[in-house]
Amino acid sequence: MSARNDIFAAIRKARPEVAAPTSIASEAQACSQAMKRTLPPLDASDLVGLFTARVSAEKVGATVERVARLTDLPGAVARYVATNALAPDFALQPDPRLQQLAWQDAPGAELRPGAPLRRDTALAVGLALGGIAETGSLIFHSGAEAPTLYGFLPLHHLVALDAQTLMPLLEDYAVFASGLPVPRNVNLVTGASGTTDIEGVLARGAHGPGNLHIVIFN
Amino acid sequence: MPERGNAPNSPRVGLFVTCLVDSMRPNVGFAAVALLKSAGCKVEIPLAQTCCGQPAFNSGADEATKPIARQVIETFEPFDYLVAPSGSCAGMIKAHYPELFADDPIWLDRAKRLAAKTHELLSFLVDVRGFRPQNVACKASATYHDSCSGLRELGVKAQPRALLSSVKGLELRPLEGDETCCGFGGTFCVKYSDISNAIVGEKAQNVVATGADLLLGGDLGCLMNMAGKLSREGAKTRVFHTAEILAGMSAYAIGEESTGAAGKEAK
Amino acid sequence: MSAPSGTFQERVDKALGNAQLKVALERTTGNARRKRAAAVEAWPDFVAARAAAAAIKDHSIAHMAYYLEMFERNALASGAQVHWARDPDEACKIVVDICKAANARTVTRSKSMLGEEIGLPHALAGAGIRRVETDLAEHIIQLAGETPSHIIWPAAHRTREDVAKLFDEHHREKPTAHDVVSMVGSARKELREDFFAADVGISGANFLCADTGAICTITNEGNAELTTTPPRVHIVTAGIEKIVASTEHALQLTRLLVRSATGADLTQYTTFHCGPKRPGDLDGPDQFHIVLVDHGRTEMLTEMPEMLRCLRCGACLNHCVVYRAIGGHAYGGAYPGPMGSVLTPVFDGLEQTRDLPNACTLNGQCRQVCPVDIPLPTMLRHWREQSWRAGYEPKTLRAAIRLWAFFAARPRLYQLAQAVALPAMRLFAKGGWISSLPLASGWTAARDLPKPPGESFLTSIRKGGTP
Ligand code: SF4
Repeated sequence: MSARNDIFAAIRKARPEVAAPTSIASEAQACSQAMKRTLPPLDASDLVGLFTARVSAEKVGATVERVARLTDLPGAVARYVATNALAPDFALQPDPRLQQLAWQDAPGAELRPGAPLRRDTALAVGLALGGIAETGSLIFHSGAEAPTLYGFLPLHHLVALDAQTLMPLLEDYAVFASGLPVPRNVNLVTGASGTTDIEGVLARGAHGPGNLHIVIFN
Repeated sequence: MPERGNAPNSPRVGLFVTCLVDSMRPNVGFAAVALLKSAGCKVEIPLAQTCCGQPAFNSGADEATKPIARQVIETFEPFDYLVAPSGSCAGMIKAHYPELFADDPIWLDRAKRLAAKTHELLSFLVDVRGFRPQNVACKASATYHDSCSGLRELGVKAQPRALLSSVKGLELRPLEGDETCCGFGGTFCVKYSDISNAIVGEKAQNVVATGADLLLGGDLGCLMNMAGKLSREGAKTRVFHTAEILAGMSAYAIGEESTGAAGKEAK
Repeated sequence: MSAPSGTFQERVDKALGNAQLKVALERTTGNARRKRAAAVEAWPDFVAARAAAAAIKDHSIAHMAYYLEMFERNALASGAQVHWARDPDEACKIVVDICKAANARTVTRSKSMLGEEIGLPHALAGAGIRRVETDLAEHIIQLAGETPSHIIWPAAHRTREDVAKLFDEHHREKPTAHDVVSMVGSARKELREDFFAADVGISGANFLCADTGAICTITNEGNAELTTTPPRVHIVTAGIEKIVASTEHALQLTRLLVRSATGADLTQYTTFHCGPKRPGDLDGPDQFHIVLVDHGRTEMLTEMPEMLRCLRCGACLNHCVVYRAIGGHAYGGAYPGPMGSVLTPVFDGLEQTRDLPNACTLNGQCRQVCPVDIPLPTMLRHWREQSWRAGYEPKTLRAAIRLWAFFAARPRLYQLAQAVALPAMRLFAKGGWISSLPLASGWTAARDLPKPPGESFLTSIRKGGTP
């Protein structure tokens, strides 16, 4: 017998009962509901405020700024580049909404968004699919317009986030995702890369970005 | 012998004194009797008792444990309550006797019925009897170690502190790691004595760091372990079972000779 | 790489003799305990949440075959290749064969305890494949030639001073200073080239999501994504108990897992991986393999199903007085601490590992902190019972317990023996204490024993008549 058959045979021997898929599904549903009832209450009226508080907390360690519209992103990037003394070349996630922004018009620095993503890229600019207020997480679904590595290779990751796409809880993300095709990668990014591997002390920028800056627009 | 009676306001309590108190520190037994009487109980001490069986049970020797457990059940089932001055022994009877007889419906039933009326002394005094000591004084600073079985199997935490708060002159100091095991673990401390030593060493340091005169607790095994380590390290901390303080029977701490100059009132 | 060797007692002696070990363990586990406590305090219904988490795991365990089939169907549909392995040898062979077929010279690996459990590092070395550990702690112990000593912090036994020494010795670009930040920076540079030189990336999985066929990894550093995205081939190795019904269940469990492990609300990177590179993707592996491993888990379905809930959060290690005294290597298996003492006998056999379930005070703190409420003390006692039945316990101990139990069940005899023993013990006392007692050296080696009374409580009662 193949390993697969052996394993399934052993499981069925230990758990011979067969339940109807519908009853299994409602049991699963009941489990999620029971868990949701234990959650501390969350004030969903100000998701931006909640998200911001979470993500800029010491243990998450990102920085946040608000702008009026996505078209204000180039200005925000220019400011970030200036504040952090970065070169004006940066890797821009190949999302058409980002590509079509007027980068050349940004005041101050002469931004050059065409740099390829490389292993020593200093800055990448991206657009999140959404955000989760409970945890301060950014949501990315990989695809042609959202390669995974933009969020992992650079030392600085600057991410635009539409305030309208904020959702309260992890469970809300699960519902949201169930309506979309399953991507190759879902990346829920919660703060800058960090490690506590040496004596449990937190240090940033282990392998992923050491700095995460989020620009929330309406 | 005290009068027999089943009136709820004067319940008949069988004192399960525990093997360690019986052999090593009778004073805790006398203190328990005094406290239970003050709390309005009729106390009886069946002579046909030895041990709850934990050394065998925790060694995995279930068959050897069963005769011991049966004898405890038989001896104590006539009482309104079984009370023991130990969270670990009460926990054994309450939580583990039913496990032990899981495959034996008759004894399981008897074990469960005994379990339902089994209590650790200090929590019994507070939760069942609403008791607070009157006119007991002890001028000293003390720190408290929560023994694991009492704490986690029986929820004994607030009760001893509530009782001690009625003792005049006693100042209770917080103990770093008060819910951390002292490394006793019954047979563990002799089978793996070097690991146990490392654990109780840390506990002794924390106790000494409080600067308290006294270390109190509710389980003689743990208390002997910590007292023995403190003594070996040359610490001056005096160690008592809480019942001894509450009953005002605290002339001699653990390891102090009842006939020597070392003994002095813990007040 | 040297796995811990010798008997349990020898390993314990070594650990207790190493003062630096205690320092390192206390720094890591102390930080972990404090952060967990703060996270739990911020969730008032945490006790109910644990019960809900246990129910979520129990649900997938109860319908394990159903969900594994669903997972497999969805994974295959995503273009993944699914492999099944009954035991470590089969699992390692599958992984090595995939590497060989891909002509792999270098593989990167992100931390996976299952990989340690099945001996994957050893198997890769045997096949002549260069293995680069990318998790910082795994990198440290790879440099030191050791195995992990903690399931969350594999280098918990190493102080920052040790790490500085290792990095100075091995890194191409030495750390600029010996603070933690500089050392992390040095490791970042050191490993960056390897992420792109690797032919194969190997990861574990925290969850297998039946509803999508995706596997979920939960990490802090970003090394998992850098391990699984650039190489041509991504191999996942996972125990079959990692199956959960859905993405929602995975995320709900993650809430407890992360709080229990590090005290954070969520780790930096919660990633779901589903199949290989898609048309139009600019990155991602060409092949995506999932190796599902049994290795005793189907037996545990009958013997100790609650243990299959384990999320590998490490909280039981951080709160265990024994782990904190002896560290992970003394346990001798892939998994240390309370959960390791339950699991190692399953994997390595009880006869060789009988010390693990016995070297425990049964204080119950592990269960109290376990996010899925696994009755660890009950399971450890279960192993003791098995060991007793099988006759693995030392003869002298068996004889002593039997003799004691004989007396304990006979109060009259017991009290006669006691009447002889107590006065005899008193002969060894000096003042109120006995500092050395024959047959009780286990006690008196470490601590004094109070001098017993001249007569027992019950004797006094019998003589005095009334209490
Ligand atoms: S047994 Fe519980 S506490 Fe220990 S690692 Fe597993 S889930 Fe965490």
